This record gives sequence, C-alpha cells and structure tokens, in this order.
Amino acid sequence: MALLRKEPKSEPTEKWEAQLRKGCLELAILACLWDQRLYGLEILRGLEQNSNLVLAEGTVYPILARLKEDGLLQSEWVEADAGHPRKYYWLTAAGRQKIVSMAQFWNSFAANLNSLLKPVLNGKGRA
Amino acid sequence: MNPMTSNPMIESYFAALANQLSDLPQAKRDEVVRELRAHVFDRLEQITVPTEDDCRTVLKAMGTPEEIARQYRLELLLNRSAWRISPWRMLRTLFRWTLTGIQGYIVFVLALMGYTLGASFYITALLKPFFPHNIGVFISEQGLNIARFPEPPPGAEILGIYYVPVAVFVGFLFTLGTTLAIRFVARHFGKLKQKVAGMAAAA
Repeated sequence: MALLRKEPKSEPTEKWEAQLRKGCLELAILACLWDQRLYGLEILRGLEQNSNLVLAEGTVYPILARLKEDGLLQSEWVEADAGHPRKYYWLTAAGRQKIVSMAQFWNSFAANLNSLLKPVLNGKGRA
Repeated sequence: MNPMTSNPMIESYFAALANQLSDLPQAKRDEVVRELRAHVFDRLEQITVPTEDDCRTVLKAMGTPEEIARQYRLELLLNRSAWRISPWRMLRTLFRWTLTGIQGYIVFVLALMGYTLGASFYITALLKPFFPHNIGVFISEQGLNIARFPEPPPGAEILGIYYVPVAVFVGFLFTLGTTLAIRFVARHFGKLKQKVAGMAAAA
C-alpha cells in the first residue's frame, strides 16, 4: 500500500507552511506557559488569540506529551468545578532555560530573515 | 454532569482513539483519552444546550482519532527510540518508516542486519560452553573462523573460555553501534518524520 506511494510533489508551499507552523508550535506552547500553569484548552486559547498555528486542536496534546517526556514540562491533574479534572502543565527549570534560548534564537533569526525579506516585500531590487 | 457525557458519537470517537493507540502502554493510553475527553467536555460546556451538530463540530476541530494517534506515535515512539537502545522498539519504529518509502526500508533492513549480527554473537557466547570445539576464534591459513558445525573449523582456537565475555562484548558493540547509527539517521532525517506526518495528513 503506502510502500509504493510516492512523495507528494504538489503544493510545496503548503508543505513549507505546515513545517514552519509545526516548528513554531512548540515555541508558542512553551511561551504560553512562561508565567502560568495552564491546561490544554487554555493553551489552545492562548494560541488562537494571536496566530493561526493550530489546525487540528488534538495535535497540541501529543506535543505536550513529548515536551513532558523531554523534561521541559511537568503536569498534574487538578479537580475543577466543571465536574472533571483537568491536566495542568507548567515549565520545569529545564523548560524555562529552553524557552529562553529558543526565544533568543528566534529573535535574531527573525531579525536576519526580515532584513533579507525587506526588498522582496517592498517589491524593489533586481530588474 | 453534562448531558453529552454519554453521547454515542463521543464514545465512538474515543473508542476509536483508544483503539488506534493500542501500541501505547495501557496507563499512557488511558491518560491520553482522559485528557482529550476533558477537552471535548470543556468545549461542549461552553455551549448552553449542545446539539449533535455541536458535538460533531467539536470533534471535527479535534482532528480524527487516526490523525491524533499518529501524532502521538510520532512524538512519543520516535522520541523514545532516540534515547533508549532497545532493539525491539527501534525496529518497531523503523518498521513504520519502511511504509513511507525506500529510505525507511533500507534503514530498516540495515538495522535488522546489525541487530542480527549482534544477536548471533550473543548466541555463540551462550553455546560456547556446550560446543567448546566448534565455537571460538579459529585462526588458520584460510583466515578467521568463529563457528562451524558439525566439524570444528580449521586452525587453533585462541581464546578458550574467554570467548564468552569477548563475544558478549562484541555482540553488545554491534547492538549499540546499530542503535547509534539509527539514532544518527533519525536525527539526520528528522525530515523523514515530518514527511510521515505530512503524508499521513495528505492521506
């Protein structure tokens, strides 16, 4: 079945966007948790407010699971008025360090890329 | 409690998810289902009187059970393979790659060979005490021999019973080497992982 399926060649832009989104999602999730403990849905709300990072809501949870396994997050079930407990996440010391270095990297990375993109976006430059 | 808690649509969604996650340990699987269930209920509780349509919308926003399960497997299994050296788990993860194309298949076959070689050293170490004249390191003009049945290999055996620890060590080196090689490839072809996800999403 899938053995013979060829790599989809169409929509390279879409693929690029999906990869970019996925890479940034991790950064965004960690950033959401910078100064608060949140459960999955709250993290999603935080992400929804200022990005189109999330396509399928369920995909945030596998990432949270991995970040926890990597030791960047810690989690705990907390009883709520809602009638069911919710799983809260917060940054570990390692997670804190990680998000700081990721943020710094992102900052210089984005700045460099932005200056590179300036002529493209201005529509000026080469004939 | 929410009237939607025992909605058959939701139940079948989570049954499908649990089923898709059957290769995760039970405790982990239960935890995943519990967490996503809490999410769905929270979403539905925002609606005063949720209808079937609302349920469908909420579940649709989650993504299909297949998609979520695939993400979990990719995140957790590949991650684990990157840190543990269990050949069984490595091969299982690699086997998933093989389904995605020729690269994965080649890596899988090479890994299988590496582990088989490692395993055969372990086996000769185990058998050495029972067949001291057939197993060992035999040096002759023909070169080096490890084992031959039923006639012993030509040449003199140089290690004696020390063959056992040496073979265990060499077997371990092969196993470890294979695992490290897979890890290297896994890290190098992180792209591959995304490709799997991408193709899964496209399917």
